[in-house]
Amino acid sequence: MTQGKKALSAVPGEAIGTVAAQSIGEPSTQMMLRVFHSAGVSSVIQTRGLPRMIELADARKRPRSPIMHIYLEDSIKNNYEKVRSIWRKLEEVKVSNLISSYAEDFRTGVMTLTADRERLSFYELTMKNIHSSIEKVGDVEVSIEGDEIKVKTSKKAGIKAIRTKFVNVLSARVSGVHGINKAVIQQEDDGSFTIATSGSNMLELMNIEGVDKDHIYCNDPFEVARAYGIEAARNIIANEIITTINEEGLTVGFRHVALVADTMTFTGAIKSVGRHGVAGEKSSVLAKAAYEETVKHLVSASIFGESDPLNGVAENILIGKQVTVGTGYVKLMVKKEDIKKLKEK
Amino acid sequence: MKSGIYLDGRLIGYTKSGEEFAKEVRRNRRLGLISGEVNVAYFKKLNEVYVNTDRGRVRSPYIVVENGVSTFTPEIKERLAKKEIDFNYLVRHGVIEYLDAEEEENALIAVREDAITQKTTHLQIDPVSILGLTMNLSVMNEYDTVGKHSLISNFTKQAQGLYAINFLKRYDPRAFLLYYPQRPIINSVAYRALQMEKHATGQNMVVALSTYYGYNMKDAIVLNRAAVDRGLGRSEFFRTYTDEERRYPGGQQDKFMVPPPTTEGYLGEHAYAKLSEDGIIEPELPIVDGDVVIGKISPPRFLEEQTSFGVAVEKNRDNSIMVRVGEEGVVDSIMESETAGATRIVKVRVRSEKIPEAGDKFASRHAQKGVVALIVPQADMPFTKDGIVPDMLLNPHSLPSRTTFGHMLEMLMGKACSLKGEYADGTTFSTEGKSLVDQYGAILEQSGFDKFGDEEFYDGRTGKKFNAKIFNGVVYYHKLWHMVSLKLQVRARGPVQILTHQPTEGKPRKGGLRFGEMERDALVGHGASLLLKDRMLEQSDKAPIWICKNCGAVGYYDYIKNKPVCPSCGSNDLEMVEISYAFKLLLDEIKSLHINPKIKLKSE
Repeated sequence: MTQGKKALSAVPGEAIGTVAAQSIGEPSTQMMLRVFHSAGVSSVIQTRGLPRMIELADARKRPRSPIMHIYLEDSIKNNYEKVRSIWRKLEEVKVSNLISSYAEDFRTGVMTLTADRERLSFYELTMKNIHSSIEKVGDVEVSIEGDEIKVKTSKKAGIKAIRTKFVNVLSARVSGVHGINKAVIQQEDDGSFTIATSGSNMLELMNIEGVDKDHIYCNDPFEVARAYGIEAARNIIANEIITTINEEGLTVGFRHVALVADTMTFTGAIKSVGRHGVAGEKSSVLAKAAYEETVKHLVSASIFGESDPLNGVAENILIGKQVTVGTGYVKLMVKKEDIKKLKEK
Repeated sequence: MKSGIYLDGRLIGYTKSGEEFAKEVRRNRRLGLISGEVNVAYFKKLNEVYVNTDRGRVRSPYIVVENGVSTFTPEIKERLAKKEIDFNYLVRHGVIEYLDAEEEENALIAVREDAITQKTTHLQIDPVSILGLTMNLSVMNEYDTVGKHSLISNFTKQAQGLYAINFLKRYDPRAFLLYYPQRPIINSVAYRALQMEKHATGQNMVVALSTYYGYNMKDAIVLNRAAVDRGLGRSEFFRTYTDEERRYPGGQQDKFMVPPPTTEGYLGEHAYAKLSEDGIIEPELPIVDGDVVIGKISPPRFLEEQTSFGVAVEKNRDNSIMVRVGEEGVVDSIMESETAGATRIVKVRVRSEKIPEAGDKFASRHAQKGVVALIVPQADMPFTKDGIVPDMLLNPHSLPSRTTFGHMLEMLMGKACSLKGEYADGTTFSTEGKSLVDQYGAILEQSGFDKFGDEEFYDGRTGKKFNAKIFNGVVYYHKLWHMVSLKLQVRARGPVQILTHQPTEGKPRKGGLRFGEMERDALVGHGASLLLKDRMLEQSDKAPIWICKNCGAVGYYDYIKNKPVCPSCGSNDLEMVEISYAFKLLLDEIKSLHINPKIKLKSE
């Protein structure tokens, strides 16, 4: 075991960062050349390829297509009906999803909504649900007559304010989890059911009964960091990068990807790779100045009287010294006694 | 809904039905009531009619098709053949009309007559007209793969030939002239119509599909020394050096002359040795890299400062034109004239003979390009029992995967035609592959050859017969203007940039090859730190610089006092370090920003 580990570990002085960058960079250039769109399984569309890679490396707070994969507790995961009842609670249903038509009257400030019974029963909701959710918007009076819902703004206001209120009413959430646009039930190979969603909200999902709180996968590292912590987020970053590359039919050694993920997360917060994150926090002034925003770094260095110990690679190339990786990593040392011996000779 | 009518882009009125209006205009145009240069287009989506009569529209001719029948009847064809009528007659009588890009949007054009349906509005005069001019000069390209055609067209444009008959009177910046241009054995209608045989762009070469001891791997070509000596692929290269006696504000002017030794930037007597008294070189003089072609002096760039002795004598600077790096030749002719601004202008045309050598590029008319790898003595080339020695050996692997069947057909046809002493037509879309093979195979058989063009060959080196028969034939090859002698460049030492002390870049400046960011990363990735230092420092801008141990400023060595001096603190305790000059420049630039960088030294 130790031998195996030793064989796998990098040699001291190996330029692992450069090698990792090259190993990920090379397939990325190929991904740039062939952008193709595959039909997404279960109608949950995902960003793939190079855009997704950039998204991960930039550590975007809002990924373009957050998705979740929800596993359920053992007791219910094989029961389709029960899974379905959980699924119904997930997808965010707004008032606008439940009506067939609506009419606005700005003179009186009354909006008339016609409920769609079919959709109501599909989501297992009643008129009462709509009633209460519209009321939550505030400053409105709601009355129900059959299928018709009348919403009256209680405050006298201008047309613009009335219109804003109407829009708020239409987008009021009746049921479901905030942020989940779509949910789909999937059957796994072992016959159990899982739920895939587009849109993420892990913290709220954990409160839903029947969801296996230890098994929720989300492709948004920030969401995972909030729910499970930074180490889980690190795994998500590494996993997402490697799957994105593999989906294109390319292969990259996992340790290169893991190094990127580690560098992005080792401080406890997720940092981007660019100048606002990892590269911007280099210790060397010269290395930072050589990268981006040269003047800014030089000026701030002069104001604070910084000094550059010349430990990195970029700054040593700049001044023309031997770099501190590879063969430049090692230095010869002579024991004091040996010097004495030499002098005696 | 009324549709707007736009005349040359301006709205002039409305009509009930734009479609009917466009039809009416076309009918009148075909009847000759409206000028044939009027084009009309109706856009259904916009419900607008565009009538264009302005100049600058690219238009192309098509045969008019009415009710599913071509108006170009056999009757007309016959009259045309008898020369009773001509092309213009057809245009005037509505048989052929010109469409512009917008009207083409309304047309459904059939490529062949048998493809006409009820919806068809026009017919191509010839299917080959779907291709452009350069492609029309080529031959049998319907047998070549799609995608090769753009290559073919590009290579044709790069071919050397007799580019202009008045080449002796022209002063082109660079020009190529093929010594013995030949008319292609297989040519096309357009080729003949344009009289391209009068300024052909290539030569018919005897090509055998054979390897030659690994010298024609991939797209490499092996040439026959004897054929080259006879003039195959030989060409002349012309380069014109131009210079002008420019005027400057302040009444100063350049002057053509042999620069006197007092000029600034004087290159030394030997450089001007070939100039005549007027400062311009003489015709028929052989010149090499470094010789001055046109001697010229220019007034100084900046006005001289006043000294205690009064205004100093103005020192002119040398602004002579030299032969380009790595080039040589013979001065062909010199032209002297005046520009519109009444300044003297001199053009010197230098010629040099370009004999095919390893590295020159050749291409057939079927996108089969290749670079000469070896020129073999005729004695060592493979030969047939008739004593035929091919001019060129092409690697057989360059054909199957590229599916350029046109190349093989041309070989076969070329062989048969050269046996009969005839030219043949190979206009694209006018031949039929199978019957070609039968027809020309029969000719070969009559002459005692294999009908598929294969022949038994003997190895020129050993004299032994090859086991396999080798396919050979005659193909028209272009010599392209990419030649090694114009591209080759090496550098061990050479000029450096003034600002950074780093080597120059590019061939005209005897430059080195850039060791860029990604190359640097590759060395870092390998951990080759000393190699990296060698490339980035030793081979680049290494500079020994004195650093003050006391204050960290950059100092200098005072050779009078024989000790280093720090101009900042006056200390003499300095240490010499080797850093890149670019870093010293960076320090200077930082200093110019009123920031004081200090270097702390540490011994290891």
